[in-house]
Amino acid sequence: MRPVSLSQIYLSLLAAFTAYLLPWSGFGLVLRPDFVLLVLIYWMLRTPQLCNVGTAWTMGLLVDLASGGLFGQNALAYTISAFVALSYQRRLVLYNEWQQAGYVLLLLLLTQITLLILKLFAGSGLPGWGYFLPSLSGVLLWQLLFSRIRAAGSRDSS
Amino acid sequence: MDPHQPHAFFARGPSPLARLIFFAVVSIALMAVDARLHTLTEIRQGFAALLHPLEVMVHSPVAAYQRVSEFFTTQDTLTRENRRLQEQSVQQSADLQRFRTLQAENDHLRNLLGVVPTLPRPAKLAEIVHAGRDPFTHKVIINLGSQQGIVAGQAAVDESGVVGQVTQVYPFSSEVTLVTDKDLSIPIQVERNGLRAIAFGNGRERAINLPYLPANVDIREGDKLVTSGIDGVYPGGMAVARVTRIERTADSPFAHIICTPTAGIENHRQLLLLAMAELPQLPPEPSKKPVPPRSRHAPRQP
Repeated sequence: MRPVSLSQIYLSLLAAFTAYLLPWSGFGLVLRPDFVLLVLIYWMLRTPQLCNVGTAWTMGLLVDLASGGLFGQNALAYTISAFVALSYQRRLVLYNEWQQAGYVLLLLLLTQITLLILKLFAGSGLPGWGYFLPSLSGVLLWQLLFSRIRAAGSRDSS
Repeated sequence: MDPHQPHAFFARGPSPLARLIFFAVVSIALMAVDARLHTLTEIRQGFAALLHPLEVMVHSPVAAYQRVSEFFTTQDTLTRENRRLQEQSVQQSADLQRFRTLQAENDHLRNLLGVVPTLPRPAKLAEIVHAGRDPFTHKVIINLGSQQGIVAGQAAVDESGVVGQVTQVYPFSSEVTLVTDKDLSIPIQVERNGLRAIAFGNGRERAINLPYLPANVDIREGDKLVTSGIDGVYPGGMAVARVTRIERTADSPFAHIICTPTAGIENHRQLLLLAMAELPQLPPEPSKKPVPPRSRHAPRQP
C-alpha cells in the first residue's frame, strides 16, 4: 500500500461530512449510512498512527454541531467505536474480506446502540427496528466502495 | 500493516485506553453541560454561522434541480393550479369580508366590556431548507434566522393549521419542531364543547396524542382540536388536529386518544412564522409581607 498523507485523511473526512450535510429527506434520511464513521473506520484500520481516537472524537463533535442534537453524544459513540476498532486492528489483517465486513457491521451497530442508550437517557422514546437500517446500508457501502479502494491500493504496491 | 511507516510497531503517545477514557469523560461532561446548563448556545450559533457557506454550497445542486424541474412543469398542471387558486381566492375573499365586519364588531364589543384589545400579529413567510438530520425527531430547518428577527418560541403555521414551533435559532437558519415530535406540546381546546387539554406529539407515528384525560371524557371521533390561545405562543382558534381514534380500556383510568394533524406538515415548502404575542399584564403581586414559615401554601418568595 502507498503511504498515506494527513491531508488525504482530512480531505476524505471533509467529503464524508459534506455527504452528511446533503439535504436528505424521507426514505433517504432513514437509510442514510454514517459516512463519517465509515471513513473514520477505514483510516483507523489502515493507519492507526495517523487517525486515532482523538480524530474520531473531533469528527463526532462536528457531527453533533451540525445535527443540533445533544452536544457530545456522537463524539462519545465515535470514541468508543474507535477504541474497539483500534484494539483489534492488528488482528484484522488475517481476516478475509467478508470477515472484515462483519467486523465493520459490528462497529456500526455498536455506535448506534451507544447513541440509542444516550438518547434514551436524554428522554426520547424507543425507535422501531428501522433505527438500525443505517448500519446495514453502511456495510453495503463499505463492501461497494472501500473494498474496491483496498483492491486498487494493493494492486498499486504489487 | 504499512511497511513505509517504521513507527507502526511502537506505540506512540498515550495508549488507546487512556485516550478513550480522556475523550469519553470530556464528551460526558459536554453532554451534561449542554443538557443541564444550556451554556453552549453561543458556540453552536457561531459554528452554525461558519458552517452556513458549506451548507449553501452542498444545497446548491439540489436547489438547481428543483428550479429546473419547476421550470419544466406542464401547462396542464399550471392551468389546473391556477384555477384552484382562483376558486380558493374567491372563497377566501368572501370569508375575509365577513372577517372584517366580525373583527370590527368584536373590537366594539370588547371595548364595551372593557377588555384589553387583541393585537394583530405580524408574520413572516419562511421556506423549508431540509428535514432535520436525525430521522427520529420530527424537525425541519427553515431559511430564516436571528438575522431576520426570528426568535425561539415563535409559532409556525400553514394555510390549514399549526405546523409547529421554532425551537432553535441560528444566525441564518432556524429549527422548527413539528407538532408530531415527542417534545412538543400544545394547549388545545375541543371545538365542539370547549374542553381544554394539552396535546403531545406521538414521536413515532405521524400523530398527536391527548394523554391524561379520564376514560369518560366527552370527546368523539372526528372532533376538531383548535389552539386555546392561553399560552401566548399560538393565537386562539387555529386548527391543530382531528380525533381519529379513541380507545377506552377497562384497565386504564385514562382514555387513549389519537389525532391526526390538520396542517400538511410534510407537504409544503413554505411556512408562516407568527410573531410572539405580548402577554397581557399580570395583576400586581400581593404585598410582600414576611410569611410565617409554618404555612405550607404560602407563595414561594423569589
